[in-house]
Amino acid sequence: MDRRDFFKTMLVAPLFTPLLLASKTTKNELELYLIADQPELFISSLLKELEKYTADYGRNFTFLNSHPQEGELERILSQKEWRYVQKPIQADLTLSFSHLRQKALPSFTLVREGRIWDIRSRKLYSLWKKMNESHNPSSCLTIASFKNRQIGSFAGESVSIYKEGRKIKTISLEENLSRSFRTKGGTITAMIKDGKAWVSDSSCSHKICLYSPPVSLAGERIICAPNHFLLEVQGSHSIDTIIG
Amino acid sequence: MAKKLCLFLLVCLTLSFSCRYQEKWHTATLLYFDTVCEIRIFCSGAAFKSALKEVHRIFTKIDTHFSPGSDDYSSAIVFNLFQRALQVYHDSDGYFDITVGPLSRAWGFLTNSRHMPTPREIKSILKLIGMEKIREEEETLILLPGMELDWGSIAKGFGIDLASQSLMEMEISRGFINAGGDLYCWGENPDNRPWQIAINHPRKTGYLGVLSISDLGAATTGDYQRYFIQGGVRYSHVLNPHTGYPPQGKQSVTVCGPETLLCDALSTALFVSTQPEKILEKYPDYGAIIADSNGKLSFIGKAYPFK
Repeated sequence: MDRRDFFKTMLVAPLFTPLLLASKTTKNELELYLIADQPELFISSLLKELEKYTADYGRNFTFLNSHPQEGELERILSQKEWRYVQKPIQADLTLSFSHLRQKALPSFTLVREGRIWDIRSRKLYSLWKKMNESHNPSSCLTIASFKNRQIGSFAGESVSIYKEGRKIKTISLEENLSRSFRTKGGTITAMIKDGKAWVSDSSCSHKICLYSPPVSLAGERIICAPNHFLLEVQGSHSIDTIIG
Repeated sequence: MAKKLCLFLLVCLTLSFSCRYQEKWHTATLLYFDTVCEIRIFCSGAAFKSALKEVHRIFTKIDTHFSPGSDDYSSAIVFNLFQRALQVYHDSDGYFDITVGPLSRAWGFLTNSRHMPTPREIKSILKLIGMEKIREEEETLILLPGMELDWGSIAKGFGIDLASQSLMEMEISRGFINAGGDLYCWGENPDNRPWQIAINHPRKTGYLGVLSISDLGAATTGDYQRYFIQGGVRYSHVLNPHTGYPPQGKQSVTVCGPETLLCDALSTALFVSTQPEKILEKYPDYGAIIADSNGKLSFIGKAYPFK
């Protein structure tokens, strides 16, 4: 698969668009997009190749949503001196997974500050070739995102739910619960657990909200357009003064 | 006609009074202690003027008595702060020590000629270090020849406490004073919430996190503001009074608690000490956020809201 095909494939993944847009507003962010049903086979060697570009980041990682092999992924990364943490605010690397609408050959690409990033590395090139040649088409897209968590990313305190543009509820992120909301287009269910919030069920047709990774940082949101539904994390954005 | 004029004057007078006495948020940026001081208080315009005068009076006093090179050992204010420093000296097993003056001088941190002294130099200077070497006679401090006091890790906190206390006595019920990283805040912030105090990241742009506090002081000691790098090792201006060398192993320590003076002194003590928990056991109202040499955060002592 060449790069153009890679992007065609990615674009049909419902997750891609919102994430690419999100990555444009933040600086210093590095993202690895990996298509493979078994990300655990490739993730550690890919991260190793990126090591010299990621030295500024810490070594804490977390999963934003679940993957059948997440236990194995956690084990492999822990062996490579990565530390698993529960809350995304503590993580330097977050892994999220989503389904592609159609299967594609395993491959990967790097995005930095919203742009495709070429690293001239023989190892990465041979890995790409090997993945393409010897593995079956896959439908799982893994997004490994390095976050400069010190810059502008603060843990949220609560989740505000908007329906038809009006705020109808605010729930603390400390709670563990699931709530269903009746909307114009049907119903939508939001889950809050371990300081993260996500949409666990929706009657809409696109299911973009359903595939959106959980949110936890102030300002992050999940939108369901057909349902006129918006979930937004509220936090202490404003800082009065700085010390140190 | 005269009546109308009287009424007009009355209205003008009331208006100007209400302007003068209407409370709102005021901010001022001042230069003291070789650093930028930020003051934000909620009060009337008139009160703001007198508040600034008062802060100026107190900070100037602190600057005169406690600047490097000051040899005033008998003023009441000096004697007073010495007693407070002595207490922290004992409680921290000597990790907080205002007699490090000659050491800071040898490392060139006082004269801006930073370099590493020879081990022999350090060894001979260490004989001049230790607060128990100072005698107190009739409210005067007697130092050994060659000894020099460095008030840098306690005077700013002291000044902020005095100034904020004074402003509160003027019935200014909300505000903060932030003098180059040492801070006291009281009442609620403009959003009617606790004050949101961001702590600078010791290595990157951005913050370690945000303290959400009220009626509390906070102070940070780090290895990133005054330092030099030699042979790949970072030597900070904070020196270990026991060894004569800058401690390794921490990037920054922020202490939060009721008195800025103690926050200031304790942040230095915890930064230098290898057993910071032990020191904080004696200060149950104080808590610390420590960034180790890998930037990893740990929290010891009393927990204050931090995100």
